[in-house]
Order: sequence, then structure tokens, then C-alpha cells
Amino acid sequence: MSRVNPKFATELSKYGSSDFNACFNCGNCTATCSLSTTDSSFPREMIRYTTLGLEDEIKASLKPWECYYCGECSSECPRQAEPGELMMSLRRWLTAKYDWTGLSGLMYKSLPLSIAAFVLTIVGVIAFAFSTDFNLEKMMHVGHLFEMIAIATVSVVILLPNIIRMWYFTIQKPQTKVPFSKYLKASGELFVHMFTQKRSLGCDDNQLRWFEHFMLVIGYLSLLFITVFMNWFSTKYLAVNIFGYVVSAIVFVTTIDFVSSRIKKSKAVSKHSQPSDWFFVIGLFLMGLTAFLTRLFIDLNIIETNKWMYILHFTILVQWALIIVPFGKWTHFLYRSFAMYFVKLKEN
Amino acid sequence: MKQRIGVYICHCGGNISDYVDVEELGKMFHQEENVIISKDVMFACADSNQKDIVADIQANNLDAIVVCSCSPKLHLHTFKNVAARAGLNPSNYVQVNIREQCSWPHSDRPREATVKAAGLIRAGINRVSYSESLENIELSVKKSALVIGAGVSGMKAAIDLARSDNEVFLIEKDFFVGGRIAQKETLFPTNQNGKEVVAALYNEMKKFPNITIFTGATVEKVSGSLGNFSVDIKVKPRYINPNADKKAVKRAMEECPVSVHDDFNLELVERKAIYKNYPEALPDVPVVVAEALKDATDFTGKFASTLNLNEEAQTLSLIAGSVLVTTGYDHYQPKEGEYGYKTISNVVTLPELNRLMEMNSEKLVYKGKQIKSLAFIYCVGSRQTKGDNKYCSRQCCTSTIHTSLQLKEKYKDIQTYHLYRDIRTYGKQELMYAESSKQGDLYFKYEEKEMPVVSVDGKSTIVKVKDYLTAKKEMEIEADLVVLVTGMVAREDATTISELFKIPIGRDKFFNEIHPKLKPVETVIKGVYIGGTCQGPKNISESVQSSLAGASKITALLKSGTVMVDPITARVDADKCTWCGKCSDVCDYTAIKEVLFGEKHVAGVNKAVCTGCGICAPVCPVNAIEIAQYTDNEIESMIDGFMQDVIITEKEAVVEEKDEEGKVGMKEYPLVWREILAGMTDEKNTIPEIVANTKLAGELVTFHLMTMNRYGVVVPAGMDAKETYYYYKRK
Repeated sequence: MSRVNPKFATELSKYGSSDFNACFNCGNCTATCSLSTTDSSFPREMIRYTTLGLEDEIKASLKPWECYYCGECSSECPRQAEPGELMMSLRRWLTAKYDWTGLSGLMYKSLPLSIAAFVLTIVGVIAFAFSTDFNLEKMMHVGHLFEMIAIATVSVVILLPNIIRMWYFTIQKPQTKVPFSKYLKASGELFVHMFTQKRSLGCDDNQLRWFEHFMLVIGYLSLLFITVFMNWFSTKYLAVNIFGYVVSAIVFVTTIDFVSSRIKKSKAVSKHSQPSDWFFVIGLFLMGLTAFLTRLFIDLNIIETNKWMYILHFTILVQWALIIVPFGKWTHFLYRSFAMYFVKLKEN
Repeated sequence: MKQRIGVYICHCGGNISDYVDVEELGKMFHQEENVIISKDVMFACADSNQKDIVADIQANNLDAIVVCSCSPKLHLHTFKNVAARAGLNPSNYVQVNIREQCSWPHSDRPREATVKAAGLIRAGINRVSYSESLENIELSVKKSALVIGAGVSGMKAAIDLARSDNEVFLIEKDFFVGGRIAQKETLFPTNQNGKEVVAALYNEMKKFPNITIFTGATVEKVSGSLGNFSVDIKVKPRYINPNADKKAVKRAMEECPVSVHDDFNLELVERKAIYKNYPEALPDVPVVVAEALKDATDFTGKFASTLNLNEEAQTLSLIAGSVLVTTGYDHYQPKEGEYGYKTISNVVTLPELNRLMEMNSEKLVYKGKQIKSLAFIYCVGSRQTKGDNKYCSRQCCTSTIHTSLQLKEKYKDIQTYHLYRDIRTYGKQELMYAESSKQGDLYFKYEEKEMPVVSVDGKSTIVKVKDYLTAKKEMEIEADLVVLVTGMVAREDATTISELFKIPIGRDKFFNEIHPKLKPVETVIKGVYIGGTCQGPKNISESVQSSLAGASKITALLKSGTVMVDPITARVDADKCTWCGKCSDVCDYTAIKEVLFGEKHVAGVNKAVCTGCGICAPVCPVNAIEIAQYTDNEIESMIDGFMQDVIITEKEAVVEEKDEEGKVGMKEYPLVWREILAGMTDEKNTIPEIVANTKLAGELVTFHLMTMNRYGVVVPAGMDAKETYYYYKRK
């Protein structure tokens, strides 16, 4: 027995859902979806749960993560109920629900709060620069150290507990019995999906979208690796240096397309943009670009006279590590792959 | 007995002659006694052939004709007209159906089909030989119409009838006009105020001096028939002195100390014993519930000159040429306990909600509690597969959705839940459904076998529903008010009207039309029409459409002052009749009454009322009553004719000349096909060439070539040089 709660619609609209009330349950969205199957059909079911406000059912469902948003459901919808965007909003809502700190939800719902957080980090970085008397070497050393510490802390304090909560909501609470051996057997699924986003190839739209996204993920992970573990900004090896240039360029070049399609609203997936989407794509773009320029300034030996370049890069880095990764859209990288893993666990 | 009969047996292209040997039959009946002409024809209904028949009748002085072709439903009137054109009384025509009854159903047995056709034709010839010339019955009619029920349908019809110069009597049972639409604040889809529509129609009616309105009036007695219905009506008293000062009447209304049930507000509140349905109700004279004021002697004494408590009901007699019944419907009244109705305090019906909405302008309050959420349960009292009301009430889906839109507009912060079986917002009304779901109304689909359950949980009312839109999940909905969307049912007093006018009632208890498509407002009673929801569930526009259709039928009927009715009616042999009354007892139309024939009491038939149904003939113990055109002589002779032996020359015994080119023997082709094939002199021919060769009519060749093509006798062979005609060649 589930209690109907029409107020949920209002709550979800704060996460960007649009006119899903217009739905008259025809099921065209599910019929047209190339990822939906008989065993796991969506998005109609999720629209229905949302309309009726069945929060427990939504929280227990992995279906929002099974959708890779080609947008065909939205263009086929006879009532313009935007089922694709609803699935996107549900992912935002779920991200907020998984987050034990509750900060994700606050930032999704409140733009002023997000802006305040970004401004606060800028002030912090500038204050830090002052404290070092704008000593570039000191700043860069601390910057590198910060990266490592931030990654470790965010992973352990925020991301890991959130993944456990996701597991609790979707596996444990609905009382799904999964033998331990299955956790091991299925773990391959986690890594395949994490690094390839294989499932999105099943979408009917342009496969270029998958390729771009794939390049971005690879570029981003490589940039992370090369800056943190190979200390790109201080490296003496030419090969490492060139590789750094290449991957940072991949990051900002691919994100140019992501940003421009959001501006032009050219694809279904980029038609509706929430602040969290903008922060994510612009953050990535600036990250790639400032990293590229910083290293360029170092190689051109003009960094000492242009310290602002590194300060800018460091600011982006701090915002990325303290806001976007733990509480922003970055988490979809984890939740999507874990969702595919959990789906595998639930399979008979 | 007819002595000079003409018999025409139709090929119907090949439809008949492919299986029934019409040529043989033509020859056979030539030898029949009294048959002057017997021949087979390609298309009996063709213009040329009709002319031939007319010429035959005149040249041979025929006194009766029989055409053996298709169903009389198709061509009875065609050939009756042929007879009339030739100066023969149309009653001396009989049609025999050898297509639907012989060639089509027995195509697998051509020989037996021919034998059966022979029997039927002989029956037809026998029948026509007893036929007599009958003339249509002319009745004079009075140019006045009685409209029963002054709802929107009745008022619209009355205006139209009056505009066409008919005298109109509009009678209304209630003391105020308007009917159901006055009970709804806003009407879909125009959002007009129901009371304003009523006032506009009433004022329009007032412009016509030829409309007389009677309120508080009921039909008591009906006699007469088409053209001259005599109707007694009873007008109940209002108990208001007609000469009383208006201000005094108003004061009496205000000061009245006694309250009574308020039917207009569906008993949600009470009203004074001197009341109007609503302040602007028309006619603008209040009504006194005299019974309730019996003990309020102080009050009645004070207003002795205003009130007239001794007033008595009047009975008036009206004469009407025709009657339009627009008596409307009743709301389905849920049984006690049906979805908690009357047992759970906050369960109401949709009409009750509509009254509540009108009474609550700021906040929706019911029994002291503000209503913020409503659950509508659809199809209450409609579409009961096992119950009485199997029909869909048609307007309730839209009405509910419209109410839901109004609720949101009027009270803003309101959530509605809709528990439906199917949403039937047909036509343009669908837009309202879209609007409703966009404003956040929630829809749940239930099935009749798993109906929603209304229960009380502490302070709140819960509706449980197995929702087919959510994979049959059990849902709980908390609602401040549960609204039962009740359908339309026939009025309780419909049976009274039905008995008075003899209008047949369907299984659904609504009045029945003759035919839903072709005679949608006509009843089997001549001169009595039905309009609006007394016929079945309709919305306002549909109601008005049907009542206006009835009004135009009546105008057309009464226009010339006379009407012609079919002469096929019952007739009584006064010598034989002993007046036992049996025929009168069985007559559904009260067409038979006891009359004096000289000194003798016999049965008399009102020809204006009789439909010729024939139910009276077999019950007569002395065989004194019969139906014109269906007399004993005619029927018995038909049976005799059909039972006669038919001798047909064995066709199969004749040597079959197999055509070299086709698998089908040339002999089996209709004659005209053979002619066409003979006309195809070249390897391939166009239609004009064949026409030139055969001297057959162009249309005939075209028609048959197409049939021949279908049967694989000829095939098209490209187009001619100018690309105007197709070539055909033998297959």
C-alpha cells in the first residue's frame, strides 16, 4: 500500500523537472526507448511514481540511472511531458538523497547558495595566496598537496558513505538477497561501465555523443592522474609534459562542444540546463584550459610575472574538488557505474 | 382478382442470373393464368426498363405488377412509383426478393435457388392477384405543439416552434423553468452561467405571443392522435394572491418562519416555506408550501391578503397537433453505503458538489470543514456490466473535469484525484482533460471488478484503489471530500409519460426513438417526438440538437395543415365483429375502441393511430379484423403458391458447350456477357468499339466488363494511343 503524495511534484520541480503532469500514461516513451526492456521498463513507470509522489519506490529504483538521455521519449511524447528531463531531475533528486550531508540537495535547489559557495572558495584561495606572500613555489607545492588530500578526504568522507547509502536504498532496504560471491563476480561490470559508459551506445541517437563523452572521461582521468601522481607542473620528462598538454587540451576542447550545445540547445540532452549542469561543464572546461595555460606559462617562463594564472587554476581546482565533485554533478560518474553494478546484482 | 398481371424477373447484372435461371423462370410464368407479361430483364431498376414497364402497363392494360429482384427495402418505392406513373394504384404492386433470398445465400446450389425463386414468385403473383387499390389517409392537423418540460431542450424547441408560427404550449412540472442547467453555476465548454442561460431563454420566449408557459403543471390525460391530441393538464396552485403587492410578497418570503427541504439545492440546506428556487428564478413569483404553513397561523394571518391558501389546482384542456417530450433526466442516487454515501460524512455526489461550489464563493467548506483535496470516483451508477445501468452517461467525465478546473480557478489551493474507468472527453472536450492533468490533477484507473473502497482512518477519509496505471499497485488517497460522479438515469415519472403517450421505453428506462440514426427523434407514436435527455444521456449541446430536430420535424409535419398516412392499417368487418374487446386489449397504440355501428357495438380503428403492426388480427375469435395488404386471402394464397410443385427443365441434362478459351462454360455466362464477348471482334477492343459492335448501352458494357474482369473472363490490355480508353481482351 502506498500513500499518494502530490506535493512531491513541487519538490521535484526544484530539481528541474518540467511539465510531467501533462502525462496521460500512454506509454509511448517506454515504447520508443531503446534501452527499456520488458524486465526493466522505463520511463513511464518513473513518471507515474513521480506524479503520485511514491518516494520510497523511486529511492529503491535504479531505473533513473539506466537512462542515458537520448531524448527520444521527450520528442515522441504526445503531451510534451518531457519524460527525458524528468529522468534527469530524478537523478539529481537521487543524488541529493544519497548524499548524507544533505548539501547536494541544498545546492541543487538554491542557486544563491551555490554561488555563495563558489565565492567563498575564491576568497579562501586569495587569502591563502596572501598568506604565502604570493610565493609561487610555495603555492604550487601546497596546491599539489591539496589535490592529494582533497581526493582522499572527499572519497572517504563523502563519496564512500554515499555509495553505501545508495546500496542500502536500492539493495538492502528492498530486501534483495544477493550472495557474496555475486558481488565479486559482478564487479567487472562496475569497471567496464565506469570507464566506457558502454550502455549509452544502446541509445538510438548519434554515437558521436558517446565518443565525445568517452574522450572526455579518459582525458579527465588522465589529467587527474598526470597532475596528481606525475606532478605534471614540475615534471622534467618531455613525454609526460606532452601527454599533459594533450589530455588537458582534450578536456577543454570537448567541453567547448558540450557548452555550446547547451547554449544552442541543439540536442535533446542539452535542451534543459540547470545551474548544476552549467557549473559542471564550465568547471571542466576551465579546469582543462587553466591547466593547459599554466603549464604553457611555465614552459614559456612567464609564470613568475603572471602568477595570477596559477591562482586562477588553483581556484578552479579548489571549487572542483570541494563543491562539484562531492556535491555536484560529478557524482554521476560513480552512481551510474554503481547503478549498473547493482542492476547486475539484482539480476537472477 | 386481378386478371392482367405483369411479371418482371431481374438478372441484376449477374447477381441473380449467375445462379437463378431467370430466363427459364420468365418462360415458366408466361404460362401462368392471369399473367399477361412475363419476362427477364437485365436491370429492372434501370431507367430504360422502368419506362418499358410503364409502356407495358399502358399498352396491355395491366391491373397489377410483380417485380422479382432485390429486397423491397431497396426498390419497393421505385416500382410503386413506376405503377403510379402508369396510372396503376401502387397497392397493386408486389416485390419478390430473389436476390437476398435466393441467388446470394444459395450460390452453391443454383438449381435449388431457382426452385425457391419460382416458389416465391408464384406466391407473389398469387398475392398481387388479391391486391386492392388503397389510398393514403389524409388527416387534418392543428398547427399547435405541446412541449413537455421547460429545461434547456424544451425552451429552445418552444422558441423554434413559435418562430415557425405554431402555437406552443410549454408545460413544466416544477414551479420554475430551467430544469437541470439552473443547478450548475458554470456550464462546459462555454463557462456560461446556467441561470443566465435560463433567463435569456425565458426572456426570448416572452417575446412570442404564441408561446404559453404553464409551470407547476403535469399531464393528466391524453386522448386523440396525430394532428389532434387532446391533453388535459393539471396546474398546481402557487397560493400567492395574483393581485398581491410585490413588496408584500417579498416581505412574506423574508418573514416566513417555517423551513422545508430544499430540492433545488439537493437537500444540502433548507429553504423557507415560501420560496423561489434561487433569487432570479423565473417566472418571478414565489411558491408557497401550504402544507408546511398550516400551523403558522400568526404568520398566515398577517399576510392573509398576500397569500391565498385556499387556491385550488386547475385542470385545463389543450389541443395539440403534435407533442415534443423533453422531460429530461434524474441524477443517479447512490444507494446508502455505496462508496460510503450517507454512511461516511464527507461523501457527496457531483451534482451536490456543484451546488456546494455555488454556495461557497470564497472557500469550499462542507460541514464546517474547509476542503482542500477531493477524490472523484467516476462511473457511479453507470456502465454497470451486472447492474441496471449498462450505458455510459456520456457527459459526466467532461462535467467532472470541468468542475475540477473550476475548483482550481475558484479556490486556488486545491488538489483533485480522479478515479476513473475510462476517460471519455470526446471531441473538443479532450482539451479540458489535457488542461486538467497539466494543472496537476491526478488520475487513477480502476476496473469494475476491483472498485475503489472509501474508508475512515481516524480523522481522515481514505480512498483505496488498485491503480491500473501503476501496475495495479494498491494506492491510498487521503481526501477531504469524496465525490461520486453519478450518471444520468431516466426520470422516475418517465413511466407516467410513457403510459400517457404510449412512448416505448427501453431496457435502460429511457424513451426509445424509432431508429438511432435514421429516425432519431421520432417515436412509434405518430406525431409524438422526443428530445433531450429523456431519450438517453446527452450533454447540453446534444440535448438542444435533438430537441431542435424534433421541433423542425413537427414544423414540417404541421406546415400544410394536413398529413398523409400510410393506408396499411387494421380494418374491422362490422358484420362479423361481436365486440369482445380482445383486439383493443392487445393494441399497444390504443388505436382500437368500441364504437356503435348502427345499433351494434363493434371495434373501431383509429386510422391515424394504427401502425398496421397486425397484433390484433390473430387474437380475433371471429376473424373480423384484418390488415390491409395482409389479408387472409393474400397470405393464404401466397402459402399455396409457394407450396406448388415447380418443374424446371433439367439444365444439366443439356449438352454443356464448353468454351475453348475459358474454364467456365459459355452457357453459364449471362446473356449480356456472351453478347459483349461476341462484340470483341479484334484481338483487343476498347469499350466504345464494343458498344459500336454490340449496340448495347455504354454504361452496361462498362459495368459488365468490370464484373467480367473480376471473374477472369476478360483482362485489361493496356491503353489506346490517345490514352483515353483501356483495351480489353479475352482471357
